[in-house]
Amino acid sequence: MNESMKNRYLMICVIGTVVASVIAFQMIRIQHIDGAQQILAFSEDYQGVTRMIYPDRGNIYDSQGRLLAGNETSYEIGLDLNSITQPETIAGIAASILELDYAKVLGYATMTPGDGNPVYVVLDDFVSKDKIEQLVTIKEDYSKRTARGNEVLPNIDGLLWTPHSQRTYPEGTLASNILGFYSYLDRTGGIGYFGLEEAYDSQLAGTPREVYIAFDPQRLSTVEEVPPGVSLVLTIDREIQSLTEKTLDEAIDWSGAEGGTILVYNPEDGGVIAMATTPRLDPNDYWDYAELFPNPLPYNTAISQTYEPGSVFKVITMASALDSGEVDRDTRFNDPGYFNIGGATIYNWNMGGWGDVDMTECLQYSLNVCMSWLATEMGPDTFYTYLKNFGFDRKTGIDLGGENHWPLKLPGDSFWYEVDLATNSFGQGISVTPIQMAMAIGAVANDGRMMAPHLVKSMIIDGEQYNVDPVVVGTPIKAETAHILTDMLVDSLENEASNALVNGYSLAGKTGTGEIATEFGYSSSETNASFAGWGPAEDPKFLVYVWLEKPSISIWGSEVAAPVFSDLVSKLVVLMDIPPDNVRLSNDINSVGQKGQD
Amino acid sequence: MKKDLLQAYKQAPWRTQVQWVGIFLLIVVAVAAVAGLYLFISGRSAATGRRIQNLESEVAELQRQNNDLQTQLGEISSSRSLNERVESLNMRPLTPNEAIYLEVPGYIPPSGPSLAPPPSIKEERTPILLPEFTDTFIEWISSKLKADTQTLTPTEVQP
Repeated sequence: MNESMKNRYLMICVIGTVVASVIAFQMIRIQHIDGAQQILAFSEDYQGVTRMIYPDRGNIYDSQGRLLAGNETSYEIGLDLNSITQPETIAGIAASILELDYAKVLGYATMTPGDGNPVYVVLDDFVSKDKIEQLVTIKEDYSKRTARGNEVLPNIDGLLWTPHSQRTYPEGTLASNILGFYSYLDRTGGIGYFGLEEAYDSQLAGTPREVYIAFDPQRLSTVEEVPPGVSLVLTIDREIQSLTEKTLDEAIDWSGAEGGTILVYNPEDGGVIAMATTPRLDPNDYWDYAELFPNPLPYNTAISQTYEPGSVFKVITMASALDSGEVDRDTRFNDPGYFNIGGATIYNWNMGGWGDVDMTECLQYSLNVCMSWLATEMGPDTFYTYLKNFGFDRKTGIDLGGENHWPLKLPGDSFWYEVDLATNSFGQGISVTPIQMAMAIGAVANDGRMMAPHLVKSMIIDGEQYNVDPVVVGTPIKAETAHILTDMLVDSLENEASNALVNGYSLAGKTGTGEIATEFGYSSSETNASFAGWGPAEDPKFLVYVWLEKPSISIWGSEVAAPVFSDLVSKLVVLMDIPPDNVRLSNDINSVGQKGQD
Repeated sequence: MKKDLLQAYKQAPWRTQVQWVGIFLLIVVAVAAVAGLYLFISGRSAATGRRIQNLESEVAELQRQNNDLQTQLGEISSSRSLNERVESLNMRPLTPNEAIYLEVPGYIPPSGPSLAPPPSIKEERTPILLPEFTDTFIEWISSKLKADTQTLTPTEVQP
């Protein structure tokens, strides 16, 4: 190689090195200029997207596993303005299938994306699957067509539908007072209102999680699974709930009552089997709430509305008197027909005296004078201690949103008077909710053990079912007292040949007629008619509490509420597979047996 | 003489060129092999990632279908639908007097629906290897110190 060639090679090497160095320098410099940083930041938007994943809201099932609240797919319809080629076709389809305004959709579809305009426009939301299937059919039909010559084929490119979950209640109004509702129209901020949807809102909703979804195939990874919300299995039996609601509606029609509540309660474990109230909202159309429930009408009267229960409260007074040892079932009382206390006079419902009566007759004839005497014999300390032990000074803590209670007036309170001791003994001057009454009377049916009322029997968490154990709230009376009082109430119903009786079944119970306080004093023409009863008396499987508000055909609980109880129980025993006493006791069949039909 | 000997062992120029070309080609082949391997693996991982993404959307779609079917079933078997069907079939509810109860020895009534398995028993795994084989020296020292302090109770008095 001569010198000239060497110089040439050297020159090429030098030039090549300089060029490479300049390129390398430029590459490094470009990456650090401001514009490069902006482009880098801009590009991150196209590398992936951070999305909040909302888990499916937990389902709600009845005690037999039948769906009461679930989820179904609905769709958001939108326009990708960059992809639209035929705005008129899209507007026409949207108008005919989605029933949207043609001009409005056309306006959106002809917008130029960017320059202040969005690139995506939401046209409609919560569109049903049926309509989406129609759109899919049209899209497939358009894609199959072949153009002839210069013919322009129709297309709906740019019209997008995105699926998402929507809360649904397949039973409609059934048990809606228990379920509450979920404001599903607010897809990111929806919350549960009333009932179980409110009480278990955070558990049903689950935990939303923020996940990053990369577009770059190199960075693709599994999206972290978001577990669904907790599902609830209730103590409610759908068939019994349906029967109870039907019975209540018929009772209101028949009696002319303004409203009503019927509770079917399991005194053994505190589970609510059915809870019917009026009115009832279809939670699928929860926006009707304000119209259906004008203020101050509560969503669920069974837990939210307090009222003076009347004579049905005598069960509590008698339980207290027997348990404290002031009287026994054979104690006799000479009823003169009036009782003076605190400057006031208490009368019986018929304004008459009943003479020499025993304690069973005091209950059977529902004597206010006898109850006033019992309360004064016990004294305020004992009487109100029992009321507190029965839970009348607090909420029951039932697992439903919106529970209410009226404070118990006690001696020493500014609004407590001596006469209250007497009136409270027969359920006047004291306000309670139906669920408080069911829980308290449930203690008499359940050997003195008072159970916490509840709706949730088990929960499904991460695919595993956890049972909820019943809770004993307290033992306000001894088991012996509970048995004696149950016998007395069975006898009083049978002696009276009550309208509440059901042929073949031993039932214990008590009627109640509570006068309603008005601004002019208590009204005798407007009453709260109630009945609390349970059965089978010696092994109770249900407790039914009936409350009808201001019935017009009769003011008396014995004439209005007791027949409703009987009607309901005669059907309830069939649904609960409870054989009549003669079958159950003679064959010693389990309370739940096998039944057949001729 | 020495100079002559060095010249005797010098490589022929064409042989040196072949060696350089060989080294260059070797490097090119190695780089190409690494690049090819990288492309192959990254291509496979991208394809797998895409497949996972598709499967995830399939899972989501199936979950939605499952929810829809559950809701459909709920609507078809709702109390209202069943009552309508019962009435159309001219059926009516059973009365207590019409029911016949049979004693079934050993029959245990169902306690309720099982919509999911009960909670699994979380067994604590017993380590197969003893700590002596796995602990570091520092861990061994700290565990010993901890064990010594745990044996001291507040009432004990050390000499």
